[in-house]
Amino acid sequence: MLIPTLTTERLILRAPEARDIAPFAEFYASDRARFVGGPLTAEGSWRMLAMEIGHWTLKGFGRWIAETKDTGEAVGLIGLFEPEGWPEPEIGWDLFNGFEGKGYATEAGQAARSYAYDILGWPTAISLVKPGNDGSAAVATRLGAYADGSITHERHGPMQVYRHPAPVELADGGIEAYS
Amino acid sequence: MSAADFSIPVIETRRLILRGPEPEDYPDFKSTFTSYRARFMGGPLNAYEAWMLYAAEIGHWQIRGFGMWMIHDKKTDETYGMAGGWKPAKWPEAEIAWVIWPEAAGQGLALEATHAARKYFYKTGWDSAVSYIDPKNLDSIRLAERLGAVKDPDAASVDGNDVVYRHPSPAALNDTQLAHGIDMEISHYADPLFKPKGYAID
Repeated sequence: MLIPTLTTERLILRAPEARDIAPFAEFYASDRARFVGGPLTAEGSWRMLAMEIGHWTLKGFGRWIAETKDTGEAVGLIGLFEPEGWPEPEIGWDLFNGFEGKGYATEAGQAARSYAYDILGWPTAISLVKPGNDGSAAVATRLGAYADGSITHERHGPMQVYRHPAPVELADGGIEAYS
Repeated sequence: MSAADFSIPVIETRRLILRGPEPEDYPDFKSTFTSYRARFMGGPLNAYEAWMLYAAEIGHWQIRGFGMWMIHDKKTDETYGMAGGWKPAKWPEAEIAWVIWPEAAGQGLALEATHAARKYFYKTGWDSAVSYIDPKNLDSIRLAERLGAVKDPDAASVDGNDVVYRHPSPAALNDTQLAHGIDMEISHYADPLFKPKGYAID
């Protein structure tokens, strides 16, 4: 399928491609990936990148590679995720090594959520955060999401559910209070 | 290869049509890969892993420019399994791979699909191919041999638990006795008068 491209103030969100394997594998091999199913071997990362591309074909949505407008560097994998057995459609953000703390996850997460609400018509969205992943929880909070219970996934274990404001709440300008 | 200009080719054979993996075919894939049938292919997988693998089969096409086709019946569109090329990160060489759903075995469908897939890859630039097979997977070893592949003890395996079968070169399949033999076996399977004797093979 044709994967759409989104643009934000500082980022371009585009389809994952073969050339992304290096930063992708470096992140998923690192300890920082322990909250998102890692660390993975090089083989595991390769298959995961392939999976991210196929996710678009199977679901009609998926995760984008976010790259900076000015340098073209890939800063993370951010977007919409719902593999089989996922509790609900999710907005997820994995920032590659060295790109934390710049607000990229919040910026791209907001664009992904707008796409989900405005283009796909999602009535609601969640984000899943593993216990201890404080950076990710802070992004969820900045996006206006609030804690809404927890789930246990057979592969990923216990995860906190953050529920995003509904489209109508955002249309009221609710997001401005958090930005 | 960019997303915009890439589409998975379609191959037609006497009885089959090979197309890229599509969302609606996933239940058939899942049924085999979550079953004991998948024990020689890294399975059985749970539902989450099966979905991830199916998505990766699609992404493989995008990344490598080749991949696994879904095997459909030309008339009914029913799926019978998958065949094609496979080369995830750890694979030493490009592999020709196949899987046939258990209930579709014994009709020469894997032979017909894999023979066509190999022909396609050779036509589009491959000069060599292997298959990595679990040594206990006798049906697959038989199929490799019927395709003219021979054990290559000097070739690197994926992880030491698999045996490498090397496929005949493009020249060895160009109007040769081997190629005619494979075509003849396929045509016998496709012929309603042909009744195979003995144990059913893929």
